[in-house]
Amino acid sequence: MRDVSSRREAERLSLVRRIKDKLFLVILVVLSMAAFLPLFHIVASILYYGGWTLLRGGLSFLVDTPPSPLSSNLGGIGPALVGSAVLVFLTVILGLPLSFMAAVFTVEYPNTLVARVTKLVCRSFTEIPTVLIGVLSYTLVVIPMGRFSALAGAVALAIVMVPYSYTYMEESLASIPRTYREAAYSLGLTRPRAVFSVFTRIARRGILTGVLIGLAKAAGETAPLLFTIGGLRHAYFNGPDHPVGAIPLLIYEFALTPYRVYREVAWGAALVLIAIYLVIFVVLRRTVREVRM
Amino acid sequence: MSYAVEVENLRVRIGGFEVLRDLTFKVPENTIFTVMGPSGSGKSTLLRVINRLIDLIPEAEVSGRVVVLGRDVFKADPYRLRTRIGMVFQTPNPFPHLSIYENVALGPKLNGLVKSKKELDNLVRWALEKAMLWEEVKDKLDVPPLGLSGGQQQRLCIARALAMRPELLLLDEPTANVDPINARKIEDVLISFRREGGVTIMMVTHSPPQASRVSDYIAFIYMGQLVEVGPADQVFVNPRNKLTERFLRGEVS
Repeated sequence: MRDVSSRREAERLSLVRRIKDKLFLVILVVLSMAAFLPLFHIVASILYYGGWTLLRGGLSFLVDTPPSPLSSNLGGIGPALVGSAVLVFLTVILGLPLSFMAAVFTVEYPNTLVARVTKLVCRSFTEIPTVLIGVLSYTLVVIPMGRFSALAGAVALAIVMVPYSYTYMEESLASIPRTYREAAYSLGLTRPRAVFSVFTRIARRGILTGVLIGLAKAAGETAPLLFTIGGLRHAYFNGPDHPVGAIPLLIYEFALTPYRVYREVAWGAALVLIAIYLVIFVVLRRTVREVRM
Repeated sequence: MSYAVEVENLRVRIGGFEVLRDLTFKVPENTIFTVMGPSGSGKSTLLRVINRLIDLIPEAEVSGRVVVLGRDVFKADPYRLRTRIGMVFQTPNPFPHLSIYENVALGPKLNGLVKSKKELDNLVRWALEKAMLWEEVKDKLDVPPLGLSGGQQQRLCIARALAMRPELLLLDEPTANVDPINARKIEDVLISFRREGGVTIMMVTHSPPQASRVSDYIAFIYMGQLVEVGPADQVFVNPRNKLTERFLRGEVS
């Protein structure tokens, strides 16, 4: 008798366990769907609406100037695309060497005052609202120069970007095991040689991630541009010290208008922006292999 | 007799802890000199003073006099000094981002020790042969070293050090993470390399049998202090100190 009852008890328990297990699984799936859905929604709508725009506009959408508000002609985002390319280029030139050298310095001389301050400033700058950085660049660059410019935008973008790039680069350099550092120095390598011929190459994947994050920030940030680049809709490029357009800014401005054709252009621009991200990421990730340790 | 290493009243403190206390000894040239002692007795730190890798530990305080290859190490340029001193570490640490060939070639190339690719090729082959690794890797010189076994990786690290043509070779428990067969091979590498002359080998180990197999001279360090130093036969057959005797019998660890 006892045998039977204890077996029943065990069966009952195992049933409860199985139900709990299934329930838990369902909850997990539902929650992760909930987290994933907004992202899916964003990407899907951009693909859908942006796709229609690109189909209608064709390649000339990437080249032409934007339409007038009530025109039936779609026009294009040529100036904004050129402006974004210029901004990314200038930002990378300003920001990446700075992030990289700062990362190398703080890892190699961690106990110096400069290193500690650098680390602290970079950590806190990732938290500052980027619109404030736009205002900062407005004060530092736009007002003295007397006009909006690509340069002012690049300065703002670089200030936004450096802490992110720096953090990735610093962490990947700092995580190189000490035994490799000792090995490099035991061969008589001077510090610059050890850093540039050994350490940065071991950490290349992390440094690359820093570069990618930097590029993404430079290409996608909108707020730092509000007070800095001025916008340039119908001309392409007049020089780095003149106003330029930018894709994120164009999306922001056009999406807020009531004009149908502007919204179509904004959707198309969003798709182009995402496509640019994708290309950069895929190409760089494929070309730089991770160092297994 | 001339000496490759002369240590006088060496003291090292790291973070308030006395790692080495008043060491004094000399390492005769062209010999294998083994520093023996239980784990944590300061042996590795001693090696790192000799090639100034101790500089990487900013909180280390060092005092005393250490003369290596005729130069006072604390007055010498550490980078120049290290080009004459090779080092092999406790954990095999070939550079993971380089191929087998590049691991061996890196030191000579970056220090400008070779003039041509041909010369570098020959040097790499020579070093790999000396480390008894050439036959095992000659067909895969351009693959990363992580596919090699631990023992092969360690011999690669020895080749990397030998390629610099060091006058002094430091080994920090080179067989601690290596299987017994590879450990024997590494011992053979050291003995045959010593026989050719022109190099002094200073090895750290906590294994008395290993010390007895390879050493000409032995120093026994315990808790950062030098207990005994002398020719290997004498230390093994006739230890002067009770503590040495007990360590050799495996009673101290």
